[in-house]
Amino acid sequence: MTPFYFRCTCFLLFFSTLLAAQNPSRVDIKGSIRDSTSEISFATVMLLSPKDTTLLNFTRSDDKGNFTFKNVKNTDYLLKISYIGYIPHQQMLVASKTGQQDAGTVIIKPISQALMEVVIHTAKAPLSIRGDTIEYDATTFKVPPGSTVEDLLRRLPGIQVDADGNIKTQGQDVKRVYVDGKSFFGDDPKSATKNLGAETISKVQVYNEKSEQAKLTGVDDGKKEKAMNLELKDQYKKGSFGKVTAAVGSSDRWAGRGNFNRFNQKQQLSFIGYGNNINQTGVNWEDYGEFKGQNSFNNYDNGDFGFGGGGGHYYMMSNDAPLNNFDGRGFTRNFGGGSNYNFDNKKTKFNASYFYNETALTLDQNGFQQNFLPQASFTNTDTTNKHDFRGNHSFATRLEQNLDSNDVIIVKANVRFSNSNTTNRQAQFFNSGEILSSNRLNINNLSNLNAHSVSSAAIFRHRFKKKGRALALSSGYNNNQSDGSDQLHSINQFFTASDYTAQVRQLNANANNSSQFKSSALFTEAFSKKWFWETFYNFSSTNNKIDQQVRNPLQNNERIDNLSVFYDNGIQFNRLGSSLRYSNKGMNLSVGLAEQQIQIKGKFAVDQNSLGSATPTTRKYNNLVPNVDLNYELPNNTWISAGYNYAVTEPKLTDLQPLPNVKNPAFRVVGNPNLTPERSNSLNFNINHWSPASFSSFGIGSDISLYDNRIVYSQTTENVDSIGIRTTTKPLNVSGGNQYGVYLWSNFPIVKTKLTMGVNGNVNGGSSPSFVNNQQNDTRNNGYSVNVDFNFTPSAKLILNVSGKLGLNYIHYSIQQSQNQKIQNHGINGSIKWQFAPKFFFESNLDYAIYRNDRFGFSQNIPIWNGSVRRLFGKTNRIEVRLAAFDILNRRVSISQYGSQNYVSRNIAATLARYYMVSVSYNLRGYEDKLKKNDWW
Amino acid sequence: MKYLFVVFLLVGTQVVFGQTMEGSIRYLVTHDWSKKMAAVDYISKQRRERIAYMWGNRSEWKLYTNLFFSPTHTKYEDSEEKAEPEDEGYSWRKEVFMVNHDLVKNTELDLIEMLGKTYVVEDSLQAPDWKIQNDLKEVAGHVCMNAFWTDTLKAQKVKVWFALDMPISAGPERFYGLPGMILEVDVNDGGMVITADKIDLRPVEKELALPKKIKGKKVTEAQYRAVLKEHMENKRKEEEPPFWGIRY
Repeated sequence: MTPFYFRCTCFLLFFSTLLAAQNPSRVDIKGSIRDSTSEISFATVMLLSPKDTTLLNFTRSDDKGNFTFKNVKNTDYLLKISYIGYIPHQQMLVASKTGQQDAGTVIIKPISQALMEVVIHTAKAPLSIRGDTIEYDATTFKVPPGSTVEDLLRRLPGIQVDADGNIKTQGQDVKRVYVDGKSFFGDDPKSATKNLGAETISKVQVYNEKSEQAKLTGVDDGKKEKAMNLELKDQYKKGSFGKVTAAVGSSDRWAGRGNFNRFNQKQQLSFIGYGNNINQTGVNWEDYGEFKGQNSFNNYDNGDFGFGGGGGHYYMMSNDAPLNNFDGRGFTRNFGGGSNYNFDNKKTKFNASYFYNETALTLDQNGFQQNFLPQASFTNTDTTNKHDFRGNHSFATRLEQNLDSNDVIIVKANVRFSNSNTTNRQAQFFNSGEILSSNRLNINNLSNLNAHSVSSAAIFRHRFKKKGRALALSSGYNNNQSDGSDQLHSINQFFTASDYTAQVRQLNANANNSSQFKSSALFTEAFSKKWFWETFYNFSSTNNKIDQQVRNPLQNNERIDNLSVFYDNGIQFNRLGSSLRYSNKGMNLSVGLAEQQIQIKGKFAVDQNSLGSATPTTRKYNNLVPNVDLNYELPNNTWISAGYNYAVTEPKLTDLQPLPNVKNPAFRVVGNPNLTPERSNSLNFNINHWSPASFSSFGIGSDISLYDNRIVYSQTTENVDSIGIRTTTKPLNVSGGNQYGVYLWSNFPIVKTKLTMGVNGNVNGGSSPSFVNNQQNDTRNNGYSVNVDFNFTPSAKLILNVSGKLGLNYIHYSIQQSQNQKIQNHGINGSIKWQFAPKFFFESNLDYAIYRNDRFGFSQNIPIWNGSVRRLFGKTNRIEVRLAAFDILNRRVSISQYGSQNYVSRNIAATLARYYMVSVSYNLRGYEDKLKKNDWW
Repeated sequence: MKYLFVVFLLVGTQVVFGQTMEGSIRYLVTHDWSKKMAAVDYISKQRRERIAYMWGNRSEWKLYTNLFFSPTHTKYEDSEEKAEPEDEGYSWRKEVFMVNHDLVKNTELDLIEMLGKTYVVEDSLQAPDWKIQNDLKEVAGHVCMNAFWTDTLKAQKVKVWFALDMPISAGPERFYGLPGMILEVDVNDGGMVITADKIDLRPVEKELALPKKIKGKKVTEAQYRAVLKEHMENKRKEEEPPFWGIRY
């Protein structure tokens, strides 16, 4: 609305209000419509509010071009008439004094046919007409990359550009060209059109402008000149963000981290880096998500087709993401950093990233373990001092290309280089009452490992013209290689009648090479709208080579033959399956069957040279594996899912290898090349309900596995000369055993939007047969836990949370019932988040953990209390200063209690306790100046 | 050729007017949850920007809906047809949603599942306050004008395109009240985009019939809006996105 027009309207409104008292309250409005040649019928006639163009009434002109509005409110109207192919016409109607309003004959003008056809029909872009301005959407007119605005203008209907670059429209020269309403480097219109790139322009507007003379003198000479404005593309999708934090603390603590992202509509480039000695071994989930950007979520990335179709699910991030995974034990010093690039237009998605991370760990740990034998038991107290360094370089890339609307191809690859070295000093003290003797074992082992791995996959999907018919193919190649060396040294001291010591020294060289090729196919056919049929085939071939050469440095590095092995193992996997699915009204039921074959072929010898003469052992396992899967969405936000499957899983490679691992002479691990695949029946059932009206939800989940054939670890404990109590662990196949879990949760408001309560509980357990000194021991585990949580938000500035947890774990042993255990882990936690002044925040939490095992008289209570105050600075809150205190009571240690098969163990490790820290952060986006109510996203 | 095309269009228009306006429109509805989030003003700008950055254009889903119309009645509901080829072979439960207008009596009879409950909204038609704009665009072969409405209840900016040559005051979802059929809708800058992609002029008496059983809680338009209003206010207090559990 021009200022003049606006003034006019105001005046008219004022005027009409003045006279309103005299005017009749209702009015009939009529008029007729024609163009230069004839009357226009069926034109749309609208009465709008002159104030804000609100539609008040509408009609159509009759076959004579006449229109009437009968008995409408007598007020000012904006009369708008539109008809296809004509410039929409509008005119003011002032409130009538008589009750009869005649708009007269309205003559409407056609839109240039060329303009209409090209803009609206060919370019499919809105043609914007604002008074005498015509606007083109430049983005819909395709020009080759690198084109100038001049090239773009040549494509616009109604605009002519001659060889010299002079622009004409509607027969007139365009005298001036503006960019975003401003003159562009002087008066020559060509300077803008010849120099600016076409891709920078979003809109081209052409309009009449007063002549330069008129603008100078202020006297309108009535001459109009054509002008053009080039509107630059919206910048809002282009930009950058990032943040950087530096922190120092007491006890020599320090931390630093930063990230920076640049992006536009198609590309994202990011950098991230961190370093600290406060046990953050990686980045947090939130920062990693921003680092990966749009590549955080990918669809259809699983090429291992099977029951349940092609798996159109989103896959979040990669498994080897450098996230903080500190397990609570010891002290670490960490560094890491990387870069990520994403490209995404509608057809192509490309990602490439690099990340390096390293962690140096110092661990001091005290362990206690009690082992039960059929007639006896022995204890083992263990003091470990470990230094461990791990470094990883990883490169990842992924390309998703839509070949056309029915074909898509995904190619991805990851390459990883890693090295690690470990020094492990361990002192173990064995005590056994009467039957077995007691001794102390000192271990001092060094190991180095260099490894690299490649994993790659390609997936192709095609949809046929027939709805529901689809084909997917995939193949992948994975390779892992590692080279390691160990220096093992142990001294064993015996406290028997004749005290003596024994020493073991070994030099190990290990080389592993594992490569796998796999391929899958999936064909889906629709029988009807409700019935579908899927057929899949999977193939994989894996080859593993393990070379372990053990030498004795005490005897001229001579090879120890009974510990050295070269092992060559191949596993071939074939599966052909089919399933039938019924899908209707939220119910999806699939029933299927597959024939699966696993073939394991292995041979071994003392070294690679003698492998040729070794006789291979080959075993084939054929199984029929059924599968049932149900997903059902009931009305009122209730979901049910249930499933049954028969799983056959090949043994782990480390369990198959026929060599003893004797890094600790008191605990030997021996592989078993005769292992057969694990087989189990699994059932699951889940129900979830969500009530959006009452903000509450609940769910039940359960699963149970019954084993036909299970791989368990048998233990043989014996007294061996010069070693003492030696436990040998060996994987074995047994039948029987089960596992189950039931999980319940609920969340509901007590006071809507203020106080919510959450409850969850679970029961899980299982029984597992195993062998202890060749005698069967059935271990039964039953665990119970309950959590209760209250979240109280009295105002937007205060959030309180209190939660409590009870955890009980019972372990029953069939061979020595007197050793049955009850392990307790309980806890209570309270936290507060408080914005106590503008830009000031206080956050604190107290966690009280209780660990108990009555049979050993073990009881420890550990309170951990943290608190921090932070303040934001600057207009946009870009700076944050935080003062934080961690473990104010200085009580933090790591405690873990565990019971299984025939032993109970407890480990206590020192870790980072009380420290204070001050940190300064700078965030380009600015920090949020309020408390976060919901932490999701 | 160009001229011929326009001439044909004009002639075609006359033919359309000459017939009884009865038929069906299939709309393609595209939802984009990161764009819906971008419009939730009480969730911090930082978090909305983060979602847009991480999801880009991977947060869309599509479905088809049908509008049946005659000069006296209209009926709008979700289609059985699937718009996402990936959805073939998987069936989602459809929420109850059906809009019936009697253009003679000027009344609505709408079935709406909201917050886990089915409502039957029976009232007179109360069209939104459309503001008429100036752009012209073609949608599904029809030249359309655009109009704008700010829905203060659902906090939505609604931009629609209505056909000048389809003189029925109807449209998809609960959008209607313009001098022509609404063929395209854009809610909250791409949060939900509805575009007519197939228009058939044919008798649809059978499709327009009301369902025999209408189950649900009977409410007036004002009562329906009151329930919606309470939900919107609660979600604002919870700082949760408001669009789950209600029709966008």
